[in-house]
Amino acid sequence: MIGVQIESLSRHFGALPVLRDISMEVQPGEFTVLLGPSGCGKSTLLASIAGLDDLQGGRILFDSADVSDLEPAERNIGMVFQSYALYPTMTVRQNLSFGLEVAKTSKADIQERVTWAAQLLQIEPLLDRKPSQLSGGQRQRVAIGRALVRKTNLFLFDEPLSNLDAKLRTEMRVEIKELHRRLGATFIYVTHDQVEAMTLATRIAIMQGGRIEQYATPEDVYERPASLFVASFIGAPPMNLLPATLKQTSHGVVAFTGDHTVSLKGYPFKIAPADGQPIVIGIRPENILIDGNVAPTLRAEVVVVEPLGADTLVWVDCAANRMAVRTHPKEAKGLSGSIGLSFKVENLSIFSKDSGLRL
Amino acid sequence: MTMLQTAIPSAVPRRARKHRPAAAIGRLGLYGFLVLAALFFAIPLIIMVSTSLKTVEEIRTGSIFMLPQALDFSAWAKAWSSACIGRQCEGIRGGLWNSILIMVPSTALSVLISALNGYALSLWRIRHAGLLLSALMVGAFIPYQVMIYPLVRMSSTIGIYGSIPAVVLVHVLFGLPILTLIFRNFYSALPEELIKAARVDGAGFFRIFFRIVLPMSTNVIIVALILSVTGVWNDYLLSLIFAGRENLPMTVELASLVSTRIGVPEYNVNMAATIITALPPLLLYLFSGRYFVRGITAGAVKG
Ligand SMILES: Nc1ncnc2c1ncn2[C@@H]1O[C@H](COP(=O)(O)OP(=O)(O)OP(=O)(O)O)[C@@H](O)[C@H]1O
Ligand SMILES: [Mg+2]
Repeated sequence: MIGVQIESLSRHFGALPVLRDISMEVQPGEFTVLLGPSGCGKSTLLASIAGLDDLQGGRILFDSADVSDLEPAERNIGMVFQSYALYPTMTVRQNLSFGLEVAKTSKADIQERVTWAAQLLQIEPLLDRKPSQLSGGQRQRVAIGRALVRKTNLFLFDEPLSNLDAKLRTEMRVEIKELHRRLGATFIYVTHDQVEAMTLATRIAIMQGGRIEQYATPEDVYERPASLFVASFIGAPPMNLLPATLKQTSHGVVAFTGDHTVSLKGYPFKIAPADGQPIVIGIRPENILIDGNVAPTLRAEVVVVEPLGADTLVWVDCAANRMAVRTHPKEAKGLSGSIGLSFKVENLSIFSKDSGLRL
Repeated sequence: MTMLQTAIPSAVPRRARKHRPAAAIGRLGLYGFLVLAALFFAIPLIIMVSTSLKTVEEIRTGSIFMLPQALDFSAWAKAWSSACIGRQCEGIRGGLWNSILIMVPSTALSVLISALNGYALSLWRIRHAGLLLSALMVGAFIPYQVMIYPLVRMSSTIGIYGSIPAVVLVHVLFGLPILTLIFRNFYSALPEELIKAARVDGAGFFRIFFRIVLPMSTNVIIVALILSVTGVWNDYLLSLIFAGRENLPMTVELASLVSTRIGVPEYNVNMAATIITALPPLLLYLFSGRYFVRGITAGAVKG
């Protein structure tokens, strides 16, 4: 198992900065997922860890040894590429053994490693085929196999499932998680699919514009997003966001949104809030209750009701903000007109409107 | 492949189309044009073959379009082994060997070096790759007559002027720009991740080239070989200047043979010698035309 430390890494193509001062630490045996929208620098970060590009600043350490100047092969990693990048003129067996041959591994050892990986990935019957004779899922396995045969404890995956259809993707997702458990190795995995990230990761690093916005467990990322970007990126539908203004009153801190007043008493502010500060209140759709009480926290107009099977989404307009409420299908039956909504303060996320950061 | 393609349409019964006279006339015109075009290119070849089979007497008395009265291969034999070139009467077979001695190293070297160049320019981040490429383009379009004198001086300075190495070197130099361009365009269509994967596997510049990139290049290599072989084989000027008296290739020998006059001009021998000289590139096209088209279009679609 290898731990990876990244220290204030920066990377640019010409004048275009792609990674800006990135620092993170991947614990040995961890399954870290790099998640973010297209073009945010995920692949670039992964390529930097692999040593495929020169850095413009910062260091990368494997188990506290500086590897910044080492070639990819010297870093001893297994890597799976988005396009699989199998060698088209070689058979599957040759694809798997190429790296070992280059490393001058003995014939017997190569045979043993290849057989082991082929068994693990169930690709033994395919060993003598060319990549062009394989299906997408089979190519995927071979690409993973090529990473596995190297004796290493650090695996890098660049969107390995993005070329597969939905069903196969779900199957392979489970297999990759199982692989991580069996190997006990460190995985760093790039994706822009949040379901993949939430299900696989021990920790997720959410990236945007070459920066890491939050690096935390899936639960933390979901329940306590560190910034407005994370709040609106994670979750389907994403977190509801209500612009508001903070006020210190004799009853504690309150927020005004439209003509509603929301009490924030008991919210664990990280930074002491200032009077009159513009904020954004975030709340997950499933944390909102449809409230028949006479004095609900908010009143909203029902726009559409979308039954999803296990639950139902109720879209409402509240003070010119569109919000989603996830509720039980039974409760949603016959909802229309004006309804009352309530929620618990501990389920809220409050962000500064100016910095976009969690308060 | 071809069998399948022709079999499928006939298996599907096509709805008989209404016969339209205008379409039939158009079709006739089309075929007429194609036949004419084919004849335009075929007639010189036909005349050459038929003349080479006539006797000198027949040529003198008959029309150039008449077919030979009997198949007489003696002109071919003479052209090959006993026709006079200047004062030597040994035919053009000596030139064939020289041509091969010049062609094989020239084409092999220029294709190999261009493949390496194209690979380096497209798949590795070379500093100023764009600048290098433009320089190559300029090299491809400057008329080579301009460079002949400096090259003569340079090759005589290093002491190889008038030898096979000199003419090979010059051929390689003049072949590089266009061949490099062809390889570069082909390789820039290859996925960059392939090279990255090989680097993670620990392979270096040359190992990646020989183990991964070169095996994928069959089609483009054939295109490059055809271009290079025909270019080198058909060359006259460079060989005449750089090869030296002992090493003149077939093209130069042929020109001397045709201009050597002893008594009646032997057109049949001249024609036979010309066909023999032109045969290698002709055969090459015949047997690899398919790859040629495939390679060119593959490059065109991807590049
Ligand atoms: N070789 C390059 N030259 C110039 N710019 C590049 C190069 N490679 C990447 N970029 C730029 O760097 C940024 C980040 O690219 P990167 O490939 O890391 O994105 P990504 O997060 O992996 O996106 P995706 O999810 O689409 O794969 C992009 O804006 C891209 O245009
Ligand atoms: Mg990417």
